[in-house]
Amino acid sequence: MNPGAFIHGWKQMAPLLRKELLEAWRDRRALVMAVCFSLMFPVMLAGGTTFMVKKQSEEVTRVALLGAERAPLISERLASPNLAVTRLERGEPRELLAGEYDIVLAFSEDFSRRYQDFRAPQVYLYVNSSESTSGRARRDVQERLGALQQLVVTQRLTARGVAPRTLSPWRVETRDVSTPSSRGALILATVPGLLIMTLFIACLSTAVDSSAGERERLSLEPLLLQPLAGWQIITAKTIAVASLGWLGSLLAIAALVALMPVMPLTELGIQRATTVGSVIAMGVIMLPLALLVAVLQILLALRSHSFKDAQTQLSIFQIAPLVMLMMLDIAQVKLAESWQLLPLVGHQQWLKGLLIGDGVSPVWMLSGSLVTLLLVAVAIMMGARALRRENLLSAS
Amino acid sequence: MIRVDKICKSFGGQTVLRNLSFEVPDGRITALLGANGAGKTSCLRIVCGLLQADSGQVLVGDADPASNPMAVRRQLGVVGDREGLYERLTVREYLSVFAQMQGLSGAVLQEALDAVRNELELDGLWNRRTKGFSQGERMKVSLARALVHRPRHLILDEPTRGLDVLAVRLLRKTLLRLRAAGTTILFSSHVMPEVAELSDRVLVMASGQIVGAGTPEQLAAETGCSCLEDSFVALAYGPRPTMARVEGEPA
Repeated sequence: MNPGAFIHGWKQMAPLLRKELLEAWRDRRALVMAVCFSLMFPVMLAGGTTFMVKKQSEEVTRVALLGAERAPLISERLASPNLAVTRLERGEPRELLAGEYDIVLAFSEDFSRRYQDFRAPQVYLYVNSSESTSGRARRDVQERLGALQQLVVTQRLTARGVAPRTLSPWRVETRDVSTPSSRGALILATVPGLLIMTLFIACLSTAVDSSAGERERLSLEPLLLQPLAGWQIITAKTIAVASLGWLGSLLAIAALVALMPVMPLTELGIQRATTVGSVIAMGVIMLPLALLVAVLQILLALRSHSFKDAQTQLSIFQIAPLVMLMMLDIAQVKLAESWQLLPLVGHQQWLKGLLIGDGVSPVWMLSGSLVTLLLVAVAIMMGARALRRENLLSAS
Repeated sequence: MIRVDKICKSFGGQTVLRNLSFEVPDGRITALLGANGAGKTSCLRIVCGLLQADSGQVLVGDADPASNPMAVRRQLGVVGDREGLYERLTVREYLSVFAQMQGLSGAVLQEALDAVRNELELDGLWNRRTKGFSQGERMKVSLARALVHRPRHLILDEPTRGLDVLAVRLLRKTLLRLRAAGTTILFSSHVMPEVAELSDRVLVMASGQIVGAGTPEQLAAETGCSCLEDSFVALAYGPRPTMARVEGEPA
């Protein structure tokens, strides 16, 4: 196709494009679905992180001490900012755990005597492992008890002229070398997947309506009788469907960026690195993907038997790539740079990088976007062929 | 002129059209009469270029829909059987979109829209979205869509199905006016009085073939029947003994 014919083809397609856009943007159901999901996930993410931080900061392990008078040193030193210790004279561990305590620490009757005789007295830790807080409570208390135990050992060895290092051939110290950005990557890892999912969901209703819906309403046939090529019909429909999908992802990006100031990112160790430039880049890279998702959804809907069948097929279609992206994320697979040429995988990596302020290569972004657009062109040609199928007509 | 020459068509091994041949002369109304399943819709779809014939040739004017569908579509107006409208567009937007797709623009477009608006009495519907339109209103809009670019050939597939008296009268008036203006009209129908009144020529189709062609009078003379319905039955299903007429039934 020469450039002149191509431009003429686009001009000829303009009224059809107008029709498709009017129909898509006047479909209240599709619009509500696109807008609601786009706004819902950033709000949920903001709410979720706030709740998580609030829960973490307010989380104090409540410890009940039974027989505290037998172990005054432990009773005094056990309390810490995250351990609230209550001394009780008596009580049944099961009942205390069913009540307001996360863990019960009980000293044996002969604790004091055996402690003084260096005979390792018993300390009982009661937990209810069916409670979600039990693991954290046990870990907190054991860490604290371990530190106290180490202190007593050191004192006893020192008193006997033995160097404490004799019983500690090495010391383990953990150093966290993660940067705020890389810690943020873990938390924000879900965001690219959700942004891509928004695109799929925002496109879905319009894609089904403009293909399987038109076929079912018997309005596709008059369209096929117009002097327009198949590629023009599919392109117009793709642009209209993609416009809604793109709107959805832009709204989601905007809402996400707008909500960032109210999200407790600092508390989560995340440095706010999203700039105006990266937000614009996110919007731009979503456009070719929106076109690809739209044309693939239209292709699938055209080959389905009915409107309902199309909805079912597209629902499955949107889950499959997202599961793949999530698996890649969970598996923490280190992909070669050339994987950025693959749509979805590339988009996930770019979005993640732009969100957390990591460097994203413009060359790879451009190349990957061009590959996506190439696939869009191929899919449009396949769609044009699909329009020639005889079983597309209502009653052949 | 529409010329159909020895076309054959099968769907899934079942033959629908067998060496079908006929001509539709310019400036005339030709009716394609056939029972359900006779192959009328398939034939009309091949003429429009929506389906490909397995063999044979079709010419609409001088264009073959199989090799040059765009040229055919520019000179065709088609009103399909039970076709849907775009329910989120107003009548004006709907007709404007189709007129523009046919290449109309500017003052010509406006003139074409005004013309169909007046001819088909669309004033009351003009700025309404088509959702909830009655069958008659839908037909008017479909007909307006088929006529807005002034096609040389008009094809209608069962156009009177489900229409009330006023809509049928408007359709009839419109078709007669178009014939007077030189438009070639081919329509399929089951309704004998409609066919008898409107058509200059009738093609009777049965089992994918033309089994009779001529004016209603010629068909009556050929079959020895007194009315088109009897002629159709005789041609499509073979000669049958005349049934005793029920008292009060029109002859």
